[in-house]
Amino acid sequence: MENKCDNLSLYIINELTNQDKKQFEDHLLKCAKCQQELKSIQETWQMLSYDVEETEVPESLKSEVMDFVFEENKFLKHEEKIETEPISFKERILSVAKRHFSPISTAVTAILIICLIGFYWNSLQLKDTIKSLENKAADPTQIVTTYSLTGQSLAASATGSAYLLQEGTETSLVIALNNMPITKGDEVYQVWLLKNGNRQSAGTLIPDQNGSGLITYRLPPEYSFEDIGVTLEPNPFNTQPQGQKVLGT
Amino acid sequence: MKSKSDEELIELIVQNHRPALEELYDRYVKLIYSFSIKITKGDTEKTKEIVQQVFLRLWTTKRTYNPSQGQFVNWLLTITRNISIDLIRKEQKYKGTVQLELEEWQQIQGLQSDDVQQQVSRNLLKQQIQEAKRHLSEPQQRLINLLYWEGYSLSEIAELEQKPLGTIKSRLHQALKKLRNNFNGKIGGVRHGE
Repeated sequence: MENKCDNLSLYIINELTNQDKKQFEDHLLKCAKCQQELKSIQETWQMLSYDVEETEVPESLKSEVMDFVFEENKFLKHEEKIETEPISFKERILSVAKRHFSPISTAVTAILIICLIGFYWNSLQLKDTIKSLENKAADPTQIVTTYSLTGQSLAASATGSAYLLQEGTETSLVIALNNMPITKGDEVYQVWLLKNGNRQSAGTLIPDQNGSGLITYRLPPEYSFEDIGVTLEPNPFNTQPQGQKVLGT
Repeated sequence: MKSKSDEELIELIVQNHRPALEELYDRYVKLIYSFSIKITKGDTEKTKEIVQQVFLRLWTTKRTYNPSQGQFVNWLLTITRNISIDLIRKEQKYKGTVQLELEEWQQIQGLQSDDVQQQVSRNLLKQQIQEAKRHLSEPQQRLINLLYWEGYSLSEIAELEQKPLGTIKSRLHQALKKLRNNFNGKIGGVRHGE
């Protein structure tokens, strides 16, 4: 216990380690002698500060001290603000730029950043273009719908298939016909697309000597139809069918 | 502003009231200046630096002062000493750190505001402490001087004096007790048993 009391002076002059300080404070709670001594010796230690000769203070000191305090404090406040207040990204960037760069280097940095953004943008654009080209190249032609065409009347043995093909945004109709009776003179087979009783020509064809023929028709945008019909027309370029129907869905 | 107590001024300072700081400056600058010029051995530039730091610390304090914690002037002097010692140690490249503000407040806790120092003028206090110091032996006086005014730690003093640390510790204890007894005796305070 005596040993602990010896730490009183060291406690007062603040020369104890944190651990010893804690131990002494615990001891202090139990030791009346130390409590009494602490108070009086601490007072004495503080009295030492009055052992000074009074010195005249320079008159200019007040303004110097006040300038220092309020300038310094402004700086501290500013630092504090940066640390604690949520500020906008832009303000943060500007403040960092201000602290670290001169106006010239800031301008140079800004230009570099703009160039960098430009290059990045460019490369993004290029990437997009390449991607769309790749997509286009890689986009396989897809068969959206298939139709089976059956021959009738004079072309009863004829068969046909039609495919609606989707290629990107474009839609095409491919019609393949077989065993078609050979045409004579100006005669042509004409394909019609039927919608709500209206007929739209999808082209004409003359089968080869084996009775086979193929026609591809690019559909107008957003165009749809319900049925496909093939007629034998006495002459080409008819806008409405004149001949008899020989094939249909 | 002049009619306000130290306590009221500190409250205003916490609310960033500049005239309150100026009033405290007017009240205490002479004591702080005199103290600092002694500790810097007459270096007016260093003294100015210390005074600036003391008032900056006062301005940025977040703690209000309660007279039951002890005398405000003692807190101010504790701060002044800590800042001075820190400056001296930095220059002398000694190890050591200044105490925190909280510790400075704690250091004066338990001292009553009706304590002896309030009953007598500073000038009388100075005479009393100088008289009390005369009762110290020469090595005790040197120790107090090195410790309090020069900012040496006990182990540094042990090295300077070429004595074991234990001897220096016990010398300090005896010196403080002797000072206390002579000091209290002179001004009629309660004499505590040895």
